Amino acid sequence: MKITKKFNIIILTIGFLAFTSCSLDGGESLNGASTSSISDDLSRGELPQAISGILSDMRDRLNTQVDVQSIMGREYYYFTSSDPRFEGDVVTGNLDNQTFYTTNVWSTRYAAIKEANLALEGLANTTSDFSAQETAAIRGVLNTLKAHELLMVSNNQYTNGIRIDVADPDNLGPIVGYDEALTAILGLLTDAAVDLASGGSSFPFNLTSGYTGFDTPAGFLQFNKGLTARVEAYRGNYSSVLSLLGGSFMNMAGDLNEGVYHTFSLTGADLSNPLFIAQNQEANVRVAHSSFLVDAEAGDTRTNKVTLRDTPREASDLVGTHDVWIYQSLLDNVPILRNSELILLYAEANMVSNPAEAVNAINVIRNAAGLVDYAGAQTPSALEDEILNQRRYELFAESHRWVDMRRFGRLSELPNDRAGDMVPSAVPIPFDDDF
Amino acid sequence: MFCLGASNFMSAQTVTGTVTDDSSQPLPGVTVIVKGTTTGSATDFDGNYSISANNGDVLVFSFVGFETQEVSVASNVVNVTMQAGIALDEIVITGLATSIKRSNSANAVATVSADDLAGRTPPQTLDGALAGKFTGALVTSNSGSPGGGLSVKLRGVTSINGNSQPLYIIDGVYLDNSSIFSAGLNDVSNASGGGASATANQDNASNRIADINPDDIENIEILKGASASAIYGSRGAAGVIIITTKRGKQGKTKINISQSNGWNEALNLQGQRNWTAALAESAFGEGALYTAAESAGTLRDYEKELFGEKGFISNTNVSMSGGNEKTTFFAGFSRNQEDGIVKNTGYDKSSIRMNLDHKLNDNIKLSLTTNYINSSADRGFFNNDNAGTTLGVALTATRPWDFLLPDENGNYPDHPNNSSNPLQTRDLMTNNERTNRFITGGNIDINLLRTDNQSLKFGARAGVDHFTLTAKVIFPKELQFQRPDQGGVNGVSAISTTTNTNANYSAFLVHNYNTDNDMSFTTQVGVTNQQFSQNIVRVTASDLIASETNIDQAANVNTGQVRLEQEDFGFFAQEEVNFQDKLIATIGVTGDKSTNNGDIDEFFYYPKGSLAVNLSNFDFWGDNDVLNKFKLRTAYGEAGTFAAFGSLFTIFNNTLIDNNVGIIVPITRGNPSISPERQKEFEIGFDAGLLNNRVSVEFSYYLKKVEDLLLRADVATSTGFSSEWKNAGELENKGVEIGVNIKVFDNEDFSWDSNISWYTNESEMTKLNVPTFNLGGFGNSLGQFQIEEGKSVTQIVGTTGPGTPVSVLGDAEPDFQMSFINDLRYKDFTLSFLWHWKKGGDNINLTKLLSDFGGTSADYDGLDVDPDGQIPNGDYRIVNGLFAGNARPFVEDASYLRLREVGLYYTIPDETLDKWFDGIVSNVKLGFSGKNLINVFDYNSYDPEVSNFGGNGLSTGVEVTPFPSSKRYMFHLSVQF
Repeated sequence: MKITKKFNIIILTIGFLAFTSCSLDGGESLNGASTSSISDDLSRGELPQAISGILSDMRDRLNTQVDVQSIMGREYYYFTSSDPRFEGDVVTGNLDNQTFYTTNVWSTRYAAIKEANLALEGLANTTSDFSAQETAAIRGVLNTLKAHELLMVSNNQYTNGIRIDVADPDNLGPIVGYDEALTAILGLLTDAAVDLASGGSSFPFNLTSGYTGFDTPAGFLQFNKGLTARVEAYRGNYSSVLSLLGGSFMNMAGDLNEGVYHTFSLTGADLSNPLFIAQNQEANVRVAHSSFLVDAEAGDTRTNKVTLRDTPREASDLVGTHDVWIYQSLLDNVPILRNSELILLYAEANMVSNPAEAVNAINVIRNAAGLVDYAGAQTPSALEDEILNQRRYELFAESHRWVDMRRFGRLSELPNDRAGDMVPSAVPIPFDDDF
Repeated sequence: MFCLGASNFMSAQTVTGTVTDDSSQPLPGVTVIVKGTTTGSATDFDGNYSISANNGDVLVFSFVGFETQEVSVASNVVNVTMQAGIALDEIVITGLATSIKRSNSANAVATVSADDLAGRTPPQTLDGALAGKFTGALVTSNSGSPGGGLSVKLRGVTSINGNSQPLYIIDGVYLDNSSIFSAGLNDVSNASGGGASATANQDNASNRIADINPDDIENIEILKGASASAIYGSRGAAGVIIITTKRGKQGKTKINISQSNGWNEALNLQGQRNWTAALAESAFGEGALYTAAESAGTLRDYEKELFGEKGFISNTNVSMSGGNEKTTFFAGFSRNQEDGIVKNTGYDKSSIRMNLDHKLNDNIKLSLTTNYINSSADRGFFNNDNAGTTLGVALTATRPWDFLLPDENGNYPDHPNNSSNPLQTRDLMTNNERTNRFITGGNIDINLLRTDNQSLKFGARAGVDHFTLTAKVIFPKELQFQRPDQGGVNGVSAISTTTNTNANYSAFLVHNYNTDNDMSFTTQVGVTNQQFSQNIVRVTASDLIASETNIDQAANVNTGQVRLEQEDFGFFAQEEVNFQDKLIATIGVTGDKSTNNGDIDEFFYYPKGSLAVNLSNFDFWGDNDVLNKFKLRTAYGEAGTFAAFGSLFTIFNNTLIDNNVGIIVPITRGNPSISPERQKEFEIGFDAGLLNNRVSVEFSYYLKKVEDLLLRADVATSTGFSSEWKNAGELENKGVEIGVNIKVFDNEDFSWDSNISWYTNESEMTKLNVPTFNLGGFGNSLGQFQIEEGKSVTQIVGTTGPGTPVSVLGDAEPDFQMSFINDLRYKDFTLSFLWHWKKGGDNINLTKLLSDFGGTSADYDGLDVDPDGQIPNGDYRIVNGLFAGNARPFVEDASYLRLREVGLYYTIPDETLDKWFDGIVSNVKLGFSGKNLINVFDYNSYDPEVSNFGGNGLSTGVEVTPFPSSKRYMFHLSVQF
């Protein structure tokens, strides 16, 4: 009988345990906010973090992006003891569609685009008390930044095409060709311009110090117009370029370096400037292509952008005698759009229709670089040569050279130092996206 | 079945007696059972027992290590002398609550005894000690770093992105085997910054099984696949390793002290090119520097400088065991210290254990195990790197005439052709993992009911595994690559603190019913509950103040925190039917649910069934002296593997720009409907004993299918994500395991036991519902793994030239593995050695390529890599290999033949001991042993056993300048009081 009693108690205990342990508690996400919290309903409190996320992610892998385009544009070489493909594949033009130089840049730009899309979706679904002006301002900024990132991808993949409609990861839009891509990017920018114009007088979020002077809807609109001018120049619509520049921050008498920048710092989770390398390094170096100094006009102060090394650095039969010395610390800003580029776009847009005005603009740039006024012919082709030349030195190592030479059909003029080297016209579409 | 039965003795008498061994010593703890019933008793301290039995009943006397004896009751005194016998009555664990005689087991459960584990030579870590000791396993050490870091794969690859390390259970406590990377290392090496698969972990972390002290272990059972581990449900798919620690024995308290000392040295250094002034001139234009260094006598082999240390090893072990018939205890203390072959690396571990068993009364038994471990591992700074800072990568750029030694004030010169000076980095940096761990478990067994035919037992178990892992990584500002003028951040100090608590509880009932014609039914049901909680906080500080290392003594601080909380609940039921030890059939099911699943209330069911037929026990078999034992067995079971914690969600990462916090999309898109993988394993085989068990053969064939594979599948990156969790594939492993055990000689003076095993495994991706994807490598021009339908899971692919398609270049799965274990004894000497042969299986070797770029590969000028024998190796690998998009030179055969363990011992004869020490001391053993003393391989680097990406997942066998492995020489002395 004692046994039965004990027995019954045990059975009851097990049953009790079985029932109480039966319902599990938990299973929530512990380690961060989920993306649906933004896209389902963008709140006023989440908005600044979403914007900062996009601004931050626009800097991700900037080094790979700029290095690859600068190598292909024969502006400089990047030698590193940790990855010989920078002196291999990228210089020989044998670009593989599964290697980091193709895949990393594409994926990080699209991550920023995804963040913009999540915020746009959240804005459309928002239950917060944004005013109509605020909503327009937010949308204007998001679409401008999204267009910029799509442009960065388009510059790489060129006629291979890019994907524009990527808001739904389960239903991606098709890969579209270069012209269609530029048209879509233009569409985003012009819609954003309309929104920014009715965006009120201030933003309900912070931009970084890289946007100083452009951190109101009206100021940001100037940035938008400048960027749109660049896109229209790529499309060859020079009259459009001129009217857009009129609404931008282009200022022939102003500081050439005024503009919008990526910022960096060493605090916490912030990024440091990935394009900074100290001078005279051995393991990792960015060395200017020899033609940079050889082709320079005497007295051009922009040759200070490269400095003579103590000893040349050689890798796989490529030699560099000068370090690229544009960014001089881990905290230096990297330009997104500068006044000097706008002035050069102005010159380019006037190249055929108003050569004298084009020369005025060219001279602003030349004089600032310690050069005398332009004295060459004012035919379109001569001006084209001069403008490309000025863009080469003014916008050195800012990933314009390759794009510029390509859009003027002059990639074959770029130098190849070794037999077997080649300048490709486009980066392949990454393997995973090639459908 | 649960009803009470009436006792059915009419004229029971009390039979008493004494049980002794063959030297007339009383044997306590011998089990005495009336055959065909559950009436039982045990001998006491003096070997006496008393039991109720009739005349004509048969009493069965059994004790581990002795032959079971059956004696008919003819009077009320039955004395028995037991003979030492072979362990055929060895017990293996089946189910969560019961055990079964090995001869009745339907699974090929592998066992590693204490002698096999640590008896030949003291192992560095527990999982390392398993290599070559049982069939069906691929045990790979990730590097030679002291403190462990291994992967154990049972019967092939079980999971691609899910967990593929087995579940470790020690005395019923579920052990945590996490591998947690330390903050700070990747910030300096930037290993995950350019080109490697983003999900990989390249920081050479250790895994926590290294904490367990092998000297405490009595035996280990390995359940290799779902057919055996089904009862463990969603945790059992990668196999279960069940560890039982030593327990006290009744009798006089025995104290055992053993001390081992020795050293380790590099196993296979690569050497130098045949440098001359002419070669230095043609390679780097530094002929003058060479000549200058030569005449100044400062030419130096920097590989020897870095890896040439002889690390001192010391292991001390003290254990005590004793008790009376009610309470027994085992206490052990160990201290292991080891210096690595690189200065400033090493491993230091102290472990203390107390195991207690107590019989409250005849029906209630309690047992308790407690273990505290404190360890500290200094692991150096190795593996992949994109900044020229790890020691291995820095070495590839170092030439013999470079001068890297410090001056008398301790200032190191900058490296003339690299961003770091490896000697400076080695001497000044810290990479330390310190663990404090408590493992405690308690067990209670209550006999609720015992009649002649039935018994009912209730058991409950609880266990807690708690550890705190503190990792410290310091790169002081004096380091060349930390100086701001070199682009450095002026010092990095990082602390990672992990607090982990796992608890598991279970309760079960076991019912046993015996019929009169020797048929027994064992039923077990139970419930289990596991709780996991982990919190990792990582803080990285840079721009340090002076020589301070506290993380607030810095300008910039970066933090990160990862938490894990999970709870599982499950129940199991199993029925085992045993017909006269001739036919043993088992059927069972486990159901569990977990907060880790998309639907936390959804139960997943895992069935199992098995049949063992002991043909040799049947009457028709008769008494065959040649084939005296033959058992056919077959088993089927299903088990699962959980999705990684957090795979349900798509979580933003955080970022900072200009003091504004931002949220950015993660690399992996979550899947709210993710569910566990399911493994289905079918195993069939036989066990045979020949020539009166002088030769025993074990043969198994298995087929393992894994469905609903958890894949971190690549997605089109235009989605904003790089990968996504999906249950989207099926893979299959099939293999054969053969083990032969031969007692070649067995005399008084000489005995020789030999064990030969051979095993092979083949895998295939039978279905893949996402596009083919790559992992575990650095691109097609260097070789990488590729998951593709219809192909081997472990295939290595790459391109073979400019514009060539991607093709299969190798496979990481070995063709087969063999091990030879021999134990010889001549009088008082014993010699025991273990040879392990892995044939086939390829690695991706990128170490040589990096030293080719540095111009320092030892075989740079050889001509054996070029198939035409024209181009020097270094040039070929660079120009015809990497630059030509040809990955062939990097995929190498990683076969090896190793003398893994060898031990030679001399036991001082008892008579001599009695003469010298008057019987106080017994069992004195002296010896010499070694690990990895002989290694035969063609592989062109330090050791074919290597992994840059750590122990989990698919990518073992990729190497990028690892910490080289070492061999150990040890001397021993052990004494028993």
